[in-house]
Amino acid sequence: MQATLTALVAKAQTDLAALKTRPEFEAAKARLVGPNGELTALMKQMGTVPKDQRPAMGKLINETKTALQALLDAALGTIEAAELQAQLGPAVDATLPSPDAGPGTYHPLTLVREEMCRILRKVGFTVADGPEVETEYYCFDALNTPADHPARDTQDSFFFPPTARFGNVSKHSPDEKYLLRTHTSSVQIRTMLKGEPPIRIVSPGRTYRRDTTDATHSANFHQLECLYVDKNVTVRDLKALLDYIFGSLLGKATKTRFRPHYFSYTEPSFEVDLGATHLPKVKKEWIEIGGCGMVDSSVFAGVGYDPEVWSGYAFGMGLERLAMLLYGIDDIRYFYQNDLRFLKQFA
Amino acid sequence: MKISLNWIKDYVALEASVEELSRALTLLGLEVEQIIRTGAPLLDQVFVGEVLVRDKHPNADKLSVCQVDLGSAGGVKTIVCGAQNYKVGDRVPVALAGAVLPGNFVIKQSKIRGQLSDGMMCSAKELGVAEDADGLLILAGRPALGTPINAVLPAGDVVFDLEITPNRPDCQSHLGIARELAAWFKLPLIYPQEKFRGKVEGTAHPELLHNVSVLSPEDCPLYTAHIIQGIKIGPSPAWLRERLTAVGLRPINNVVDVGNYVMLETGQPLHAFDARKLGGHQIVVRRAADGEKITTLDGKERTLSSRMLVIADAAQPVVIAGIMGGENSGVSADTTDLVLECAIFRRQTVRWTSKHLGLTSDSSYRYERGVDPHSALEAAYRAVDLILETAGGQVVGPVFQVGGDVPWKREIVVTHGYICDKLGFAIPAAEMRAALEALELTIAREEPAGARGPAWTVTIPSWRDDLDRPIDLVEEVLRLHGTDKIPTAVVNSPGLIGDDDPVVLFNRRVTDYLVGHDFHECVSYTLRSEKEISTWVSQTAAVELALANPFVDDQSHLRPTMIMGLLESLKLNQSRGVPVAQLGEVGRIFIERNGQNYECAAAGFVLAEPMGERRWLQREPADFYAAKKHVAALAAAAGIDLVRQPLVPVTGSFLGWQEGHSAAAGEMTQGWTARFGLLNLAMVRSLGLEGKIYAGIFAILPEKLTGEATRRRYADFSLMPAALRDFALVVDTAVQSDEVRKTLAKIARAAIGNAFALESVEVFDVYQGKGLPEGKKSLAFSLVFRSAERTLTDDEVNAVGQKIQDEIAKSTPWQIRK
Repeated sequence: MQATLTALVAKAQTDLAALKTRPEFEAAKARLVGPNGELTALMKQMGTVPKDQRPAMGKLINETKTALQALLDAALGTIEAAELQAQLGPAVDATLPSPDAGPGTYHPLTLVREEMCRILRKVGFTVADGPEVETEYYCFDALNTPADHPARDTQDSFFFPPTARFGNVSKHSPDEKYLLRTHTSSVQIRTMLKGEPPIRIVSPGRTYRRDTTDATHSANFHQLECLYVDKNVTVRDLKALLDYIFGSLLGKATKTRFRPHYFSYTEPSFEVDLGATHLPKVKKEWIEIGGCGMVDSSVFAGVGYDPEVWSGYAFGMGLERLAMLLYGIDDIRYFYQNDLRFLKQFA
Repeated sequence: MKISLNWIKDYVALEASVEELSRALTLLGLEVEQIIRTGAPLLDQVFVGEVLVRDKHPNADKLSVCQVDLGSAGGVKTIVCGAQNYKVGDRVPVALAGAVLPGNFVIKQSKIRGQLSDGMMCSAKELGVAEDADGLLILAGRPALGTPINAVLPAGDVVFDLEITPNRPDCQSHLGIARELAAWFKLPLIYPQEKFRGKVEGTAHPELLHNVSVLSPEDCPLYTAHIIQGIKIGPSPAWLRERLTAVGLRPINNVVDVGNYVMLETGQPLHAFDARKLGGHQIVVRRAADGEKITTLDGKERTLSSRMLVIADAAQPVVIAGIMGGENSGVSADTTDLVLECAIFRRQTVRWTSKHLGLTSDSSYRYERGVDPHSALEAAYRAVDLILETAGGQVVGPVFQVGGDVPWKREIVVTHGYICDKLGFAIPAAEMRAALEALELTIAREEPAGARGPAWTVTIPSWRDDLDRPIDLVEEVLRLHGTDKIPTAVVNSPGLIGDDDPVVLFNRRVTDYLVGHDFHECVSYTLRSEKEISTWVSQTAAVELALANPFVDDQSHLRPTMIMGLLESLKLNQSRGVPVAQLGEVGRIFIERNGQNYECAAAGFVLAEPMGERRWLQREPADFYAAKKHVAALAAAAGIDLVRQPLVPVTGSFLGWQEGHSAAAGEMTQGWTARFGLLNLAMVRSLGLEGKIYAGIFAILPEKLTGEATRRRYADFSLMPAALRDFALVVDTAVQSDEVRKTLAKIARAAIGNAFALESVEVFDVYQGKGLPEGKKSLAFSLVFRSAERTLTDDEVNAVGQKIQDEIAKSTPWQIRK
């Protein structure tokens, strides 16, 4: 019997190693250890074994059983591994490109706008919005722009015919004309009329000038303006904001300089120069980047804020110009062509 | 405004370098657009010489060997020269050894192809007096041999081209700029010496001018006329011609040149008439008659209107007031008697006229910006002085003056403390006072005003009409202190409650969605063509969205969608061989409904087959349902659940979309609208684009956006197992699945009653073809049932299933597919 058991294990070892599929395995398992299996049959012969040999025989059978189970487990493991292998298919070539499109890309103007908004958010400016179709009041009158100012001329700005009706752009007086806003300063007026001081907003958006399109001019472009209204606001506060903005955006090596200028809605008014010779492609010592000033008391009076109590500053700049400076882009038209080879560079 | 440095030095003894001057002008607010150096620099060892002999160079075809006589400056020299434009006998500039020409070009005695050359004959460019070098500078007028070249060439000058802001008309003059620079450099301002000053002997000269009348005083608050008799027209002296040439004016004759000179000096435009050409010996300042004509100095006939002001004689207009004189009355070579006009015209009148005639001049430019009426007579006196000096003659009769009788007086009271408060930093009172006085803003009184320094009563001169309030003086003080010296500080930012505008949040969400779903964000122009809108959107939109004054024809209308811009970008990329599939844009569009336009926040996209791109592994192309998913996500960013909205299949009335393959939802009456699906194949092809292009757009009125959605409340959900039953229904092919789904859900809920819940009804299979009759399709739905408390038994679910089947058979035209 001992010989039979040894032969059984030896045969099982050979047979099980040759198994490829799960049904083959189940059949082999039944043949060996199933109710009608060979080991079971041998165990049934235990009764015929002399009593004194039974313990030794029992031990031998148990050992055989364990050995067979180990062989079965190993065979099953091999089959399962083969099954998983079969699911995989051939190995991938990791260097092949993904056939899926992507990734998507943000437009550089969006990237610059959002970066500016994040920088300003840190010092408490929230983002305001307003219509691109404006009326003369919000675009000019409320900003102290005289009636004969060139920007109000049909030469320089896009107007709509008197019959045009815009259902959701409110007029201040019934007979004013609609036009495409020439600056985002109109958002300042709408924000001040809607809310109460103190105010701290940044208003980015699309603006329009009746201009020839060339490398540096575009019929529509984007601006970003800041308005700060509080008590006791000073020229020095305005300078501090600009130092903060451009230091954050372009690094601590950046300098800002004010030059006296004239805008009808601020007094005093300045143009802002950037000293950023550490940037690539920047050769001039100072680059003009925007305009700013202390909000003119006539603007406050127009929106019903007491100019004796409230003071403030405003700052505005062109987003295309800033993006051109940041990325070293030299033609404004690239922003509007959307050539993928351009768009993919800024992601 | 072009400013000559030599000229400015007449009024202020500037010693600063060009760089220092440029910086000073910049910080004064007079932006330097360009610095132009004119005339010759100081040149040592460059003299007038005459070519005596010109022989061919023995070793070089293009060179000549010349003998050049420099007279007292060195006699005859040998010069090798490559130029071709001269001949024997010409007088030319000759640079001898030791001369240093512009560009640090040192002249030495040298051998050129074996021939000794003592120096160089020079071109205008080599001397730094001109941009071009078309051969040697041949000197006109045969100047004496050996004359140092600077004595022959125009003197060097530096011209600053300045941008003058509209609030500073006083800086449209050399005196005005000199005043600013004098203040900056703390130097005295020297006014020109005046001799005449309006003192005239004798009575009016009736043969020359009887009368001046101003019929429209609101257009002409001041009119003065001086009569000068016995002048002689001729060329201006060199100094005057040089000044005008330096700033870009062409010298004409002594009288005209003086007029221009005084205008550039003082900012006051002047005009001279030939007294004998004034019909009826009269000057009438009046509105033109409609249709009245005048031929201006530039030889063009102009038709006037009654909103325009003219200077007329007894019969006809002779000048368009403040803009340009007529051909018929100006000074000419034989003029001997002058009437010199010095007047103030209303800015608006000049601007309107200038704009409507399309005619501008140095004079109109200044009148439009404002000319100081209280300095006008000074300018007239100055012009009289210079005419007498350059053209002779004498002033006869008294000065005619009409108007100008409103005296000027303005005082502003400002305190030292106020200025410091506005600036946010302190400037010593003495420095402030000095700054104001340097600008001729005289301190009439100084009074103590508490601990924070004195109060000043500041007298404002008439040419500084822009200074009206104490804040205006803050700017003057700061300008002279230096805006580059504002001290740094930290940003003062006390916390504020509030969030970004809802439109901003929406834009950000949809941009993030599109980019996160592999779209390339585009930015395209708002203005589109009429043809595009009438073809792709509607005829009424093409009417209502029109601008009154487009600049170019194909940018005449507001965009009612951003899809056209995206198609254009698609095409641009395709034509450049750049494969592109997914483009998106976020921004404003303008939707017209029933004659009203609505400005909307919007997001749109296109899904194209990437033309020309072959891939090693093919993916399924985009389809209608991809577009639907994206539009639903854009709507969700605005808080709108597109799935719950009725969808309208697109019919012929939606231009641009393919019928049967696109849909719409929402209306402007609800405040939003969405369109999505396949773009019209034929129209896409007409744009030169190939293949199927799916697109979608979602637009909403900004005021409908509410920012962050209201905070959701948690809803409890069952942990019990679900029971599933499937139903396949055979329906007409035209029937929409959602209609069937809703009916099925309603029937199922009725069948369940309150026993348990119908969790969902979803379509999972759509079949059409073999095994079904023509015109029919099968829709298979999966119904999920669940109880909150217990596991459902097969029996109760089967009973509900039977009830549903019975009800479908009874109340719907649909068949259960077994």
